[in-house]
Order: sequence, then structure tokens, then C-alpha cells
Amino acid sequence: MAETEKTTVAATEAAPVKKAPKPASPGTQALRKVVSDVYAAAWTAKEKGEPVGWSSSKFPCEIAEALGLAVVYPENQAAGIAAQHDGERMCQAAEELGFDNDICGYARISLAYASGVETTNESRRVPMPDFVLCCNNICNCMTKWYENIARMHNIPLIMIDVPYNNEVTVSDSQVAYMRAQFDDAIHQMEKIAGRKFDEKKFEQACANANRTAKAWLKVCDYLQYKPAPMSGFDLFNHMADVVTARGKTATAEAFELLATELEEHVKNGTTTAPFPEQYRVMFEGIPCWPDLRALFKPLKANGVNVTAVVYAPAFGFVYDDMDSMARAYCKAPNSVCIEQGVEWREGICRDNKVDGVLVHYNRSCKPWSGYMAEMQRRFTKDLGVPCAGFDGDQADPRNFNQAQYETRVQGLVEAMEETKKLKEARA
Amino acid sequence: MSIEALVKEFAEVAANPKAQLKKYKDQGKKCIGVMPYFAPEELVAAAGMVPFGMWGSNDKTISQAKEYCATFYCTIAQLDLEMLLDGTLDLLDGVITPTICDTLRPMSQNIRVAMSEKLPCIFLAHPQNRKPAFGLKFTVDQYTHIRKELEKISGAPVTDEAISEAIKVYNKSRAARREFVKLANAHCDVITPIKRSAVLKAAWFMPKTEYTELLTALNAELSALPVCDWKGAKVVTSGIICDNPKLLQIFEDYNIAIAADDVAHESRAFRVDAPESGDPMMALAQQFAEQDFDVLLYDEQSSSNRRGEFVANLVKESGAKGLVLFMQQFCDPEEMEYPSLKKALDDAGIPHIRLGVDQQMRDFGQARTAIQAFADVISL
Amino acid sequence: MKTIYTMGIDVGSTASKCIILKDGKEIVAKSLVDVGAGTSGPARAISEVLEAAGMKKEDMDYILATGYGRNSLEGVADHQMSELSCHARGAYFLFPNVHTVIDIGGQDVKVVQIENGVMVNFAMNDKCAAGTGRFLDVMARVLEVKVEDLAKLGAESTKNVPISSTCTVFAESEVISQLSQGSDKRDIINGIHHSVASRVVGLANRLGVRDDVVMTGGVAQNGGVVSALQEALGHTIHTSPLTQYNGALGAALYAYQRASR
Repeated sequence: MAETEKTTVAATEAAPVKKAPKPASPGTQALRKVVSDVYAAAWTAKEKGEPVGWSSSKFPCEIAEALGLAVVYPENQAAGIAAQHDGERMCQAAEELGFDNDICGYARISLAYASGVETTNESRRVPMPDFVLCCNNICNCMTKWYENIARMHNIPLIMIDVPYNNEVTVSDSQVAYMRAQFDDAIHQMEKIAGRKFDEKKFEQACANANRTAKAWLKVCDYLQYKPAPMSGFDLFNHMADVVTARGKTATAEAFELLATELEEHVKNGTTTAPFPEQYRVMFEGIPCWPDLRALFKPLKANGVNVTAVVYAPAFGFVYDDMDSMARAYCKAPNSVCIEQGVEWREGICRDNKVDGVLVHYNRSCKPWSGYMAEMQRRFTKDLGVPCAGFDGDQADPRNFNQAQYETRVQGLVEAMEETKKLKEARA
Repeated sequence: MSIEALVKEFAEVAANPKAQLKKYKDQGKKCIGVMPYFAPEELVAAAGMVPFGMWGSNDKTISQAKEYCATFYCTIAQLDLEMLLDGTLDLLDGVITPTICDTLRPMSQNIRVAMSEKLPCIFLAHPQNRKPAFGLKFTVDQYTHIRKELEKISGAPVTDEAISEAIKVYNKSRAARREFVKLANAHCDVITPIKRSAVLKAAWFMPKTEYTELLTALNAELSALPVCDWKGAKVVTSGIICDNPKLLQIFEDYNIAIAADDVAHESRAFRVDAPESGDPMMALAQQFAEQDFDVLLYDEQSSSNRRGEFVANLVKESGAKGLVLFMQQFCDPEEMEYPSLKKALDDAGIPHIRLGVDQQMRDFGQARTAIQAFADVISL
Repeated sequence: MKTIYTMGIDVGSTASKCIILKDGKEIVAKSLVDVGAGTSGPARAISEVLEAAGMKKEDMDYILATGYGRNSLEGVADHQMSELSCHARGAYFLFPNVHTVIDIGGQDVKVVQIENGVMVNFAMNDKCAAGTGRFLDVMARVLEVKVEDLAKLGAESTKNVPISSTCTVFAESEVISQLSQGSDKRDIINGIHHSVASRVVGLANRLGVRDDVVMTGGVAQNGGVVSALQEALGHTIHTSPLTQYNGALGAALYAYQRASR
């Protein structure tokens, strides 16, 4: 699962060097500040002698928020480190500790960092943890990853386990299991925080998280317009906010601000995407953070805009009570059955009118890539759009190959062109 | 029967699972495939059916499974799918698909899709927070689902009495296997690595009543032998599976005996018994809750290195001089626990080697070199 | 006391090497044939070394085989041992202060820890060919240069063009794409050397590196890899002109130990 980096990599880095990058919009700037503040708050807490936690991206942040605990997110940190090209070095450092190079790149980067290897990406430095919050709704690798951190630092681990679900609905049995774990987690985290769980603050955090989720979904929905008022790659960057600061008012406000900007673009028929849109695709999977520029290059060259990413529905947790919150946290991309996964993706593909799908077979993410071949067949069958897969990695550049990727993109573009012609001929 | 004859019988079963499957089907029994890990086989037995272990294969090539799977997945899971697709397991009446690792999660979906018109797939998601009351409850709920699905296949209700009875049968079988592992150590001149593997592997393809009877006979024969004075090296094996006779032959070539194991396909599968009193469904949940020191399971006391130390102790207590880790390629639970295991072994002064293996390996040249050199190291 | 002659044969995956040793001290003759296990190489290497020494097979008190194809010499060799032990022993003979041996062969990378001349621990690469001699062969072919010229060409490089792919197939296309972008071959070679070094360093550090570090195997003749490895490891690396014969040398030494028992 991934998030992102503070620079608008796609829009700026991929642009020709001669042009100075356009200044970021107020909304984008506000979103960047939210993430920087999360990192800063962790350092402040550490300086004050307060405990700092490391949390998986889909651990219910509402609890830590209600207890006023400072928390940072290793997945976001790893993505940031990888995007700033320090991932390979960190991965190798983990391999020297004995972690195999087949292990998730985020986990390797994070474990190297936890063992004391500093990163060159200063914006993603974090204080060492006093506790860890693990929710394995995205993968079971997370469980072992956090156990390793707990072992390295001899600190408590709070585990919220989300068993894989074979059905589209979340059963009452699973909700009961989740609720009990929430209670348990709250109890353990009260001890760490040294204060009682404050229901009022919790309600506020939940309200904020809901507001953020709705604003996030609203922003994502602007990709439905043709042409889209932004490059879908921007969403990868804004993911950082949904991951690290869902429960904060500032996050909701920043997304709402961005939404008004997009609204304006739609009215004026303008876009922040740095090229005219000819094709629209869904980008399936976590991007290859170290190679964003390489990912973006052939898309831009062919006028391919990413108008759908799975993160949109995957992080739009909207709920109204504890039970529905438990249900919401059961639904992460890698914890749901294939039918749910297909439904999410085909939903946004239809809404956002894509012409094709680009599938990342991610060496770092076994649960995600594990049923993509079947999904690809369904996309083609159900949506009538071509799909192309490529090999890559969310954090380890050694598993990505630009030449292969460019060929696959070109193939996809040619297939989309053919499909378009066919459709036009029929019409 | 002589030891030789008994071992031969196990070896035949272990080498011919397909024939075994046919044998039970010919007897009019229904058979249920059981994928790794920790599926409650007792329920299958209680339903009057034969559970059939699915741990890949050493002599199949992954081909049709590629339709569903990228290359970077554990070959056990891929070969299970392959055998479901290529007809090897056509005689099964159902398959249980646990989902405790990141490969088995999507694989449960691939199998369900691929088998949609062929075979009922029974889904199982174990909880990781398995010890607290709410974890036990969730396990019971999951097992209840399995029980119902099995009833649909067998066409008859699975009674509590039958489950209680199956628990007793399984406890007995586990005890016999634990006993065998000890005897195999004491008589490693007779029970060589290949034979040891065959005896333990056969358990996956036989009803436990039948298996235990045979194993008890073997154990009795072994107990009657004088303890051997072993001059070669002794190791503990660790990993998911190491049942390839070609690989084990290398152990025999260099006089390396297996003193004990920490292998998922072997001892990890029969360390823990289920309580024989009380509600039998809860007893099975309790059994799962008590599973411990396992790479696949969450450890509530993760800040200490309990598993690593457990394995290091196993080496010491079994009289082995070193550990051979069969690192199943692309198995991230095993890979994630390696540095901690290494630390515990190093701290205890136990040498080890790590052999990268998968079930598509046909050439063992590198493994041979490493095993031979390791024998040199530990016989210093 | 009678003079003892022993022969060590190292049947590698890509070459066969022999050494004849007098009294476990003096190298009488050596031979190298550029094909290895499963070919006529071992037999040719044996007859060449005997010819060079002016001796017959019967003159050998003990013959010990090692290397990937060591099991194919039954009837010729009196005993066989793994190349890990032999490399440790050979390196100890050449460098008495050795504690770490890094051997890069045709398809294996091995790191051996040595205490008082005895191997106490080791690690080998798993899975892929990256970091091995085979990897360099493939890259040399893509670049249309001879593998023995890699070192010389790499030394003329003015910058390092990073080749980062783990997989040989990916690395191959990375090299091709660098070529098509007009990168200097010599700089690409330099990048390849660093890529090999980075793969090996991970393995070495996992085991722990202690001075003196000795590099053996065919790739040790490539100064480009040696210096890249030195840089990445932060330890001085010792090599010997006998580097390719190190396994055979170790085998001959073990043969002497057995013959004089």
C-alpha cells in the first residue's frame, strides 16, 4: 500500500528541464504542509519526552488521535525515501541484516531505518518508535514487519488483525472480532499515552476522518470529467495526506480547498495535467516510486492520462458508528475478495471513463499482484478495454525495467487506438 | 512387520499420493484437499471423509497455474493450483483454502475462480489474535463455516461426538509422530533422512487411524533397537518443507542425520494437541490458539525473540550440531523471521546454513556443495 | 622421508584446473582448460598438468577433486571435497592472515569465514546469476567485448553509469538501453563492475567481513570488479596470480593432508 512524496513528482519532474516548475496551487501546498506537520509533530513529541508510535497506514488512526498520541507512518516514509532515490541503498542495508531481497521494499526500507540506517531524504526522517501500531488489513507481511521493529526496539506492539475476507459483505462474526480488538487496542494505548480514552475527542477524530474521506473522494471524482482537470498521478502524491492525517481537520480543509480549485478548472475547461489528454487509463497498483519520472514519460508522450487509481475508493473510509467503522477497516485493497476488488476497479473505470488499464505486477506486493491476472481478464471482458501488465516494484528500482515498461505502454496505446477505431466504425 | 517393510509402506504412500487418492475413492470415500496451514483436518475426519494434504509436488512443472500467477510466488501454492488444473486432483470432492500468508490470500481467490465449475472450495481465514476470548470465538465461527460446508459435501450432519472422536484420533496420531521423531533421532542409522521424511509425509495422505496403527508398529520396532552410536553429523532442519528425496540423498551421502525438525510440513504440524474434553469446536479453536513459535503466526510477545530461541533450544536438546534452513523461495513469513532466527542461533553458538529451495528445483549442485561444506564445518 | 606428490583438481562450471604439489609446499605444475564440468575439460587438464610436471598419474600419492563437477571424477580421484573448504585452504596457503575469502565463480558467489586456516562459516548466493561470472559473460556479449578486456576498458571509464537491475535479463536490457542512449561502453562496464560488487557486498556483510580479505576465482582477475568491491566493502582485497587455481591448490593441500596421515 502506498502513499507518497511531497513533491508533485509527476507534474514537475517529468516536465522538460528548461521550464521552471509551476508553483503549486494553494490546495496542493496546504496538503504538503499537513504531511510535514505530521513529521514535525512526532519530533516535537519526542523532544518533550512523549511516546512516538509507528503505525501501518490502515490502522484506525482515530484511536491515536483521540488519545493525542504522535504517530508516523513507515509506509509513507518508505515511499518518500524511495521516491527520493534512497530506497535501493536502504533495501541493500536490510539485505545485509539478513532480510531477503524478495521481501516487500517498504518493509526492507523501514527495517533498515529502524535498525539505525539514516536516510538522505531529510523530510522523511522520523524519531525512533516507543510503540508500534499494526493492522494487517493490507497484508500479513505487515505483521512480521512490525514484530521485527518491536523486537529491535523492545517496545509494545498493538495488533489489530483483519482476517482475509472471501465475501463482499463483512460478516457479523468479523465485526465482533474487530470491535473486541478495538477495545483491546484502546486499553493498551491508554497505558502508553498515560491518559484515559476521551470519547469526545474520539468522536471528533471520527468526524474529521469522515470529512477527510469525503473530501478525498470528491477530489478523486474530478477525474470523471473529460478532459480531467488534473493528472491522476497527482493523486499518488495526495495519498500521503489520507494515510498520515485522516483524522485531522487541516487535512479535510486542504482537500476541500483542492476540490474548489479543480471545480474552477472544470468550469474554465483547463487542467493542471502537463499535456493534452488523448487516452484515459486506470493505473493498477502502487506506483514505482523510484521511477515516477520513467513511469510518467511514455504516458505523457502518448497523451495518456491516468484517470483512475484504486486508492480512490480504497481510502475513502466513510462510516457512522463503531460497527461501520469496523466494517470500513475490513475493506482494504488486499483484504477483500476478488469480486469486491473487481467491483471497485470497474466502478471507477466506468465512472472515470477509461480506455485501458495499465497493471503493475509489483514484486514488493504479493497479495496485491496475486490475483491481477484474473482481474485483467475480467476488465477486458466486462469493460471491453485493453490491459497491459509490466514488472516493477514500489520501492526497489532493481526490479523495474524502463525498456520493458515503455514497450508495454506503447502496446497498450496501440491497442487503445485500435479499440477506439473499432468503436468509431461501429458508431 | 519388519522395520524395512513398514518404512517401505510409508514410502510408497508418500511417493504416490495420486494412487492413494484413487484407493480411497474406490472404497467409496470422499476426499477433501487440505492446503497449508493449520486447517482443522479433524472436521474432515469427523465428516467421514479423508483429508488429503496439499503441499505441492517435487516432480511437476508449473505451467497452467501461470495463467493466474506471476513468477514470484511460493511454488507450493502454485503447484497446488497446477494440480487442481491439470487433473491430478480431479478425484477430490472439495478443497480447504486457508489464507494465513500473503500468497495464500490471493491464491484462495484464484483457486475458487479456477474451480468454480469443478470443485467446492471451502474458505478459511484464521485470526492472528487467536488467544483472547474474541479470537477463539472467531476461530470457532470460521470452523463452524467449514463444518457446514463439509456437511454439504458429505450430505450428512457432522456431530459433536464425531468431532470429539476425531480429536482423540488426531491427538494419538500427533503423539505417535512426536514419538517417531525422537526415535528417528536415536536410531538415525536406520531411519535415514529420506526414510524419516517418507514416514512423516505419508501422514498427509492417509486416514489417521490407519496411519497411527502403522506408525505405532514402527515405533515399537524402533524402541526395541539399541540406540545407535552415530559417528556422522547431526542437524536440525527448519523451513516450510524439505521432502525432496534427491535433496535428502545429499544428507545421506555425507552422513548427516536429522535430529529434529522445525519444518511446517513435519513437526510444526503436530506439536500441539486439542483438548479432549469440553465443546469440541472450542477445543479445536484452542488448539489453534496454542500454536506457537511459528513464522506464520503473530507472537503476542514479539518484542522478545521467542521463536529464534525455541529453535536454538531444539538444536541443543536434540543433540544436533547445527541447523539447515530450507528457505522456501518467495516465502516472506520465513524470510522475515530469518534475521531473528540467525541471531538466536549465533548467540547460542550454533552454526547454520540457509539453502534457497523450491519445488521446481531439479539441480542440486549448489545445495550439495553447501551441505558437504557444512558437514565439514560442524564436524570440526 | 619419501617425497609426496598430490594433485588437486577443480572442476568448475566453466573451467577445469589442476595443480600438482610436492610435499604440500611446492607447486610443481598447474594447468587450466577453459571448459568445465561435463566436458573433456577435466581429463585434458589432468593430462596437461601431468605432462607439464613430466609425471604419470601413478606418481601421484593422492588425488582430490573439488568444484561443481567433483563427483564426476570417481575412479580418478581418491576423494572429493567441496570447493568451499578447498578455497579456504588454498587462500590460507597463499595468505596466512586470511579471515575472509570471496570467491566469484562461473555461477556461484561464495563468501567463506576462516579461523586459523579452517572454514568456520560460509554463505552462497541464491537464485539468480547477478554477481557471478556468468553475469559478466552475458554483459560482455551484449557489449561486444571480450570478457578478459572488461577490466582494462572499465579502467578507462570517466564515470559510473549505474546498472541496477537485480535480474540478468533486466540488466541486459538496461545495458542495451544505455548503449542506445549513447553512453560510453567503458562507463557502462564500470557500472557493471559496481553492480557485481554491490551484489557481493550484501552477501559478504551478511556473514561478516574480517581482514585479511582474499578474493579468488576467475573474476578476481578482473581488476575493475576487485576495486569496485574494495570500495564498497571498505576493506583491502588481496588477490594472487594463482587466483584461478585456488580451489585446485586447496584440493592438493587437502590431498597432502590425507596422504601423509
